[in-house]
Amino acid sequence: MEKFGIGQGIRRHEDFRFLSGKGTYIDDITHDGMVHAVVVRSPHAHAKIVAIEAQSAMAMPGVLLIVTGEDWTREGFGTMPTKSAVQKKIDGTPLNQPPRHALAIDTARYVGEPVALVVAETEMQAVDAAEALDIDYDELDAVVDPVKALAPGAPQLWDDIPGNFCLDFELGDKDGTQAAFASADHVVSLAIENNRVTAVPLETRGAIASYDPETENYLLENATQNVHANRATFAGDVLNIPEEQLHHIAPDVGGGFGAKNSAYGEPALILYAAKRTGRPVKWINQRGESFLSDTHGRGQLSTVELALDKDGTFRALRTSTIGGIGCYCWTVGPFTPSGGAARTQGGPYNFPAMYYSSKVAFTNTAPMDPYRGAGRPEASFQTERIIDYAARTLGFDPVELRRRNLMTPDMLPRKTPMGLDVDSGNFPEVFDRTLAMSDRAGYRARVAASAEKGIRRGFAIAPYMECTGGGPKEFAGVDFGRDGTVTLRVGSQSTGMGHETSMPQILAAELGIDFDRVTYVQGDTEATPIGGGHGGSRNLEVGGNAVLQAAREITAKGKRIAAHLLNSNEDDIDFADGAFKDVKTGQSIAMDDVIEASFETGRLPEAMDPGCLDTGTVYEREIITIPNGCHAAEVEVDPETGAVRVERFWAVDDFGKIINPLLADGQVMGGVAQGLGQALLEEIVYDEDSGQLLTGSLMDYALPRADDLPEMKIAYFEDAPTAKNPLGVKGAGEAGCCGAPPAIVNAVIDALAPDGVRHIEMPLTPEKVWRAIASAR
Amino acid sequence: MPTISLTVNGKPVSAEADTRQLLSVFLREQLGLTGTHIGCDTSQCGVCVIHVDGKAVKSCTMLALQADGADVTTIEGLASEGEMHPMQEAFRDHHALQCGFCTPGMVMMSVVLARDNPDLDDDAIRHGLEGNLCRCTGYQNIIHAVRAGAKAMKG
Amino acid sequence: MYEFQYHRPESLDEAAKIFAGADDPKFLAGGMTMIPVMKQRLAMPSDIIDLSRIGELTGLSAGAGMVTIGAMTPHAEVAGSKEVEKAIPALAALAGGIGDPAVRNRGTIGGSIANNDPSADYPAAVLGLNATVHTTARDIAADAFFTDMFETALEDDELITRVSFPAPEKAAYAKFANPASRYATAGVFVAKTATGIRVAVTGAGACVFRVEAMEQALSKDFSPGALDGIAVPADELNADIHASAEYRSHLIGVLARRAVLQTG
Repeated sequence: MEKFGIGQGIRRHEDFRFLSGKGTYIDDITHDGMVHAVVVRSPHAHAKIVAIEAQSAMAMPGVLLIVTGEDWTREGFGTMPTKSAVQKKIDGTPLNQPPRHALAIDTARYVGEPVALVVAETEMQAVDAAEALDIDYDELDAVVDPVKALAPGAPQLWDDIPGNFCLDFELGDKDGTQAAFASADHVVSLAIENNRVTAVPLETRGAIASYDPETENYLLENATQNVHANRATFAGDVLNIPEEQLHHIAPDVGGGFGAKNSAYGEPALILYAAKRTGRPVKWINQRGESFLSDTHGRGQLSTVELALDKDGTFRALRTSTIGGIGCYCWTVGPFTPSGGAARTQGGPYNFPAMYYSSKVAFTNTAPMDPYRGAGRPEASFQTERIIDYAARTLGFDPVELRRRNLMTPDMLPRKTPMGLDVDSGNFPEVFDRTLAMSDRAGYRARVAASAEKGIRRGFAIAPYMECTGGGPKEFAGVDFGRDGTVTLRVGSQSTGMGHETSMPQILAAELGIDFDRVTYVQGDTEATPIGGGHGGSRNLEVGGNAVLQAAREITAKGKRIAAHLLNSNEDDIDFADGAFKDVKTGQSIAMDDVIEASFETGRLPEAMDPGCLDTGTVYEREIITIPNGCHAAEVEVDPETGAVRVERFWAVDDFGKIINPLLADGQVMGGVAQGLGQALLEEIVYDEDSGQLLTGSLMDYALPRADDLPEMKIAYFEDAPTAKNPLGVKGAGEAGCCGAPPAIVNAVIDALAPDGVRHIEMPLTPEKVWRAIASAR
Repeated sequence: MPTISLTVNGKPVSAEADTRQLLSVFLREQLGLTGTHIGCDTSQCGVCVIHVDGKAVKSCTMLALQADGADVTTIEGLASEGEMHPMQEAFRDHHALQCGFCTPGMVMMSVVLARDNPDLDDDAIRHGLEGNLCRCTGYQNIIHAVRAGAKAMKG
Repeated sequence: MYEFQYHRPESLDEAAKIFAGADDPKFLAGGMTMIPVMKQRLAMPSDIIDLSRIGELTGLSAGAGMVTIGAMTPHAEVAGSKEVEKAIPALAALAGGIGDPAVRNRGTIGGSIANNDPSADYPAAVLGLNATVHTTARDIAADAFFTDMFETALEDDELITRVSFPAPEKAAYAKFANPASRYATAGVFVAKTATGIRVAVTGAGACVFRVEAMEQALSKDFSPGALDGIAVPADELNADIHASAEYRSHLIGVLARRAVLQTG
């Protein structure tokens, strides 16, 4: 029997399944009579759909159904409203929100927007018919750049939304910040672009819909991160049916990183198709379709300004951003460039004043929704980049300038000018540990060794401070079986993070039972009454605490049973190490015996019924937590080609209590790799004129590969516990995306500082780096 | 539809294959071996890597008909008698997988890398996995796992 | 993929007969380009003639200053061949840098050069080493083989049988890979051969080409410094989202110098 506690690097429960090819991802599922759907996508960035001639395609072999915008309108299906946490403009009026249907009704507004659905007996037949579908488009001018979209004379996406304007937003003390800028000794300003990227989970999106005409119930199996929230949209907003009539399941999901969070149109389309055809309908995106139609992230253009005193003390930070979100508000699209990027501005530094403002534009591009961090990586990059730029231009040491401006523990708790409650953390200590780990003593020798090869070497350190997010409530249910099994049901959901291990680990540790006895259930609207799915590094913070709460409710009930069995007073019963003990008599009874007794009426106290240990509970977070840390990178730059290699990488992260260090490492490393991707490799590029996606395949969109990554060194700081939740966790998922991009980019700038290079926009591709060197000379 | 005969995971198999069917799709749909995944349409991602006549190949870039007469091993055939292959064990020990989607291809590629070069160093592993994308792990634990798996395979 | 007829002949004669009897046939070598292209419905051949069972197209031999490689020899075999490594190490190294291990197990030299992708590696070796392309109809000198983007001197029904590379005095290939596809953004093959210096550039133009100015300079002084100031004009080069023509022009210079240095 394996008994494990919190804090141990337990190997994962789910791994045997995944390693032996027995995972069940959406495309691995088949049903009797299942048919196949293919989405017909707009080839134009902006075009009127004049007519769709479906008859000849309908007559092709195997074709069962073709769904168009006309059908959708006739059926009267509803639109999918945005759930953005920011819903109002600065003037208090609601944000501008165009109607979003599951497919384009009469106008397509981005390349890849669903225009029709073709259902056939086989996938090949559906593809053949989709290709044969005759659609007459009337092309319109398109605009993909958010700055241009907001400019006068830009092509208009929506008749009733003038200027392609979604909303404006502000946070912080505008006047106080202005005053600080006016009286500061130094002011630096830099235009910074946060490049548009996409998550590229290796499993593409896909789903299977089934319909039972007798019960009128739907089943949707879907590669999603969020079954409950998306059920609410599909059932409540689109199909106009009670939520109970839609059973939404996520099987094993092959990565998400935010891109599988949204309520997309395709699942709604196949739900309808399942009802119309009376057959289970499967739809699986091709990779090329994913680049066109998955949500993208980041994509912000900002002017960042920093005010400092003569001695380098920070006085104020001001950021003004323009973000494009595609042609719809999507699920939470408007939030990232507004509240999302605002709240963690300034990172772990002591800024007396801050002000953030932004404008959000509609563009003829794929939708924007959360991508790992959703605003926090942008804020972290903006903050770190302007500090670095200030150090370079004003002659401060970049390491020293950062160190001296960090918030110190004696300043905590405090509310930042952005309204973030920072309760815990020791930023200087984390910074110093990162520096100590990064072998500064050996740096000069490494620089010299690089120089021998004609290579520049640079170093940068990037402290970050972010926050958790996502749904504030989570359900945990525990069911005990007479055969000794324990089933744990939670409404948060793993798309690879290992909840099947970490969550039972908490339960097993709390109850003192065998970890392997716990069966984990997730991603099923019938298994839990509510669920917040995955997002915002919320699982341990909200879900983990729900499990802890359930465990504590179980032990409380267990005490009553134990007291009854031991003839003790309930108040005298102590629970520790899997046993209930009467502190007065010294008698004890094991958890397992209590569980066994819980099924037998004769061994239970009055008012307790067999099965009484089964527990369902909802935990609600009071306030979001503040994960923080410090990352550092050492890079080599080949000045001849502009090629950058990240040579070394260090991370010290304060995630609060570490439940499973093995899994925490995985989160850090994976996040750093995605951060490195954004810094050096990845960018979604649209053609300015045609609005065509130029990075529509893995041949053109560069994902980090094994030889792009260095060996990372990772440590945790657990000495600044948070009391914001009982587990004392702060969240781990998004650290790498906050820390890695500024560490890597600033290290490149450090390497090229002798050449006079001051700024290069991400991604730092070889050509951009080469050009920066050439133009600085 | 033509019928092809091949050996899959040590067993002789005969099945119909559509001319247009890729080997990856044939394995998944005709033989139910869904451990071989499909992650892209440009032969870049490597989640479909299997062994054909002892060599690592991307099964999405081979017609099923081309495998007529071949000896094919998929992730399902790697374990023997319920015992995980040392490379599978190493992946678990080193937390070298998260969502698991790239894992079958990653493991199948790693097995041949280690077989062909038992003393491979980290650089050789990183270059050897050039055609296998992972979006979750940052590769580091995969590198550690392959190193350990190679050592275990050597015995 | 569109419908097609599949054939797997066992001899060149049989392949030729199938070809002659088909509407719009295509030969299938390793399939590393052909199959993705067909998957994306960018090609619609009536017949696919799989060459993998034709014994006449396999085999690899090295001797008497010549390496001869059967058209259906996969890259991995060339990369791993001790004979090739000994006779022309730059050729083995180039083959070992194509794609990834799985691609190298299927992709073939015949398929690669017949396709003549502007960013493929093999054309640089064929042209740089002044190889001869042997076909079912004739022998074609490297200088006459690569004609334009995805175009070669091959007739539709003409098949490459093998490629013979005269061993150079020394040679090296320097490649700068596209970070996404890992094809060559630019690649330069430099060889000092019995008939003179050859510099072949891939990845940068419509198809592989020689740089005479560099060849002449290196003939006088075979050193990296001899190439200083010699550039291929950008207006002759490719531009895409990954690299402008100016950058490619610059890379050719850098890679040529590095290749010279690598030859030792």
